[in-house]
Amino acid sequence: MRRIWKIYRLLAAQNLKRIMEYRADFLTGAVSFLIDQAVGIAFIFIIFTQIPQLSGFTFPQILFIYGFSQIPKGLDHLLTDNLWCVGYFIVRKGDFDKYLIRPINPLFHVIAETFQVDAVGELIVGFGLLIYASPDAGLHITVWTVLLSVIAVPFAALIYTSLKIMTSALAFWMKSSGFIIQMVYGMNEFSKYPTTIYSLPVRIFVTYIIPFAFTGYYLSQYILTGNDPWFNIGGVIVISSVLFVISIFIWNKGISAYESAGA
Amino acid sequence: MIYAEHLRKEFKKTIKDPGLKGSFKALFKPKKEIVVAAKDVSFHVPEGEILGFIGPNGAGKSTVIKMLTGILTPTSGECRINGKIPTNDRKKYVREIGAVFGQRTQLWWDLPLQETYNVLKEIYEVDDESFKKRMAFLSEVLELDKFIRSPVRTLSLGQRMRADIAASMLHSPKVLFLDEPTIGLDVVVKDNIRQAIMKLNKEEKTTVILTTHDISDIELLCDRIVMIDKGKNVYDGSLHELRENFGQTRELVFETVDPKALTEEKFRKGLTLDESDLEIKKENNSFRVRFNSKKLPVGEMLSYTLSLTKVKDISVKDADVEEIIRSLYRQGVTADE
Repeated sequence: MRRIWKIYRLLAAQNLKRIMEYRADFLTGAVSFLIDQAVGIAFIFIIFTQIPQLSGFTFPQILFIYGFSQIPKGLDHLLTDNLWCVGYFIVRKGDFDKYLIRPINPLFHVIAETFQVDAVGELIVGFGLLIYASPDAGLHITVWTVLLSVIAVPFAALIYTSLKIMTSALAFWMKSSGFIIQMVYGMNEFSKYPTTIYSLPVRIFVTYIIPFAFTGYYLSQYILTGNDPWFNIGGVIVISSVLFVISIFIWNKGISAYESAGA
Repeated sequence: MIYAEHLRKEFKKTIKDPGLKGSFKALFKPKKEIVVAAKDVSFHVPEGEILGFIGPNGAGKSTVIKMLTGILTPTSGECRINGKIPTNDRKKYVREIGAVFGQRTQLWWDLPLQETYNVLKEIYEVDDESFKKRMAFLSEVLELDKFIRSPVRTLSLGQRMRADIAASMLHSPKVLFLDEPTIGLDVVVKDNIRQAIMKLNKEEKTTVILTTHDISDIELLCDRIVMIDKGKNVYDGSLHELRENFGQTRELVFETVDPKALTEEKFRKGLTLDESDLEIKKENNSFRVRFNSKKLPVGEMLSYTLSLTKVKDISVKDADVEEIIRSLYRQGVTADE
């Protein structure tokens, strides 16, 4: 474990050095993420100038859900961004070779290699909205709701990570799976709003099939209402663990199907 | 040390008709074809040997090396290195090997070289003292000093290759896989690299498997060669044996005074050699004749030539290894079709 941590730190540090070397690229990335976030928030503001409530939620509550959903998203984005590259080109170009001949777990190696600073944008917006919206959102604050919500955050991030592992691993068979990752990942948009605003099929889909609802709406439900810890928090933990196990299984199958590339 | 038994690797390939239309068709109705990159390759390598693993382009060399290093899972057959099956014991296994794929770097593209080595040191858990010694040894033999602070992306091909080879040797592997380590390099760099391989092999008894298209690599480094073609073994033996068995080819070069009177056909007519034992090339007034000296002794060939025409200059050369290999590649191809 200590060794893993040491290697992670080392690889992440190298990555930061690399980022320093391409400053313009980094700044552009950070700015574009902030714009992206600003558009999302502006959208909510516009909606609430027209209506007082959305599916029974007040404006601060919606902001709170939105903000909370950005934290697991940002966490995953910060730590595991290299999985996108696996899907887009690392496998297709045969560059996955090098991960297979190093004495550390290939998945860990791929993930540890990138530390995506752009994600700080999501985290800032997430925490910012939580702080801004909390006083008026009518939170149900007890030791339990706070503690369990904090514990659940890394598990919610694991939902993102597992879905990315699964979809990027498809590249081992298909050579390139970038668009599939994008498609599945894009559904996280559903996590920012209460699932009650969606029709039943969509609700079932984002709860049980591509369970992004757990990374935002359900996650924030517990601290908002104090209701249903078993489903809202337990669900996050169980679903993320199951997804993770499945994703590792697919990933390992994928490695034995890996075909490298010419030469 | 290294056992490869009947290794076979199949790839699935989607066949596309040409053009955008073909691509669309393949998207909806993919036609799958199985391509066999390695059919049946077997060999053993004892500890401390340098094996030249050769074959024409597309013979399946890289595929076999990738199976041996655990990158590819064999479709059938088995390899065992140091008692380990690469794809099963990956983490433990790769600690004992080093690999260089000449066409592809394993270094961190944007990092200065020294940083790459520091990272590898941690990954392979090399202790400080051995690391220091190792770096000193490698930078001496491979002359890394001049560019060890430069980012990898700025290195020239020769520098990058040396850097890659140093990276593969850093953790004192027991087995070293070198897939075309001298490709595209100049004579001096090639020599550096060969020196490093030789030293390591001598001092640490490192077993080396080397693929190359450069015959001098083989002549200078290899105790033994295994040749494959179309995914199958074609030859397995020492270089010495290769020369004994296949080295009967001689090359006669002469310049005739009267090129009009002597045609290729006329020269061939007087000889009773088969097509495969005789090859004639004429260029203006000079002739280049390759022939099998077992079938026709050199003396007879000489006196035949001299009786046929007046010559300005004449010489007979031994076949070099390159020549032997060329004829083996050709035979391998014809035997299969």
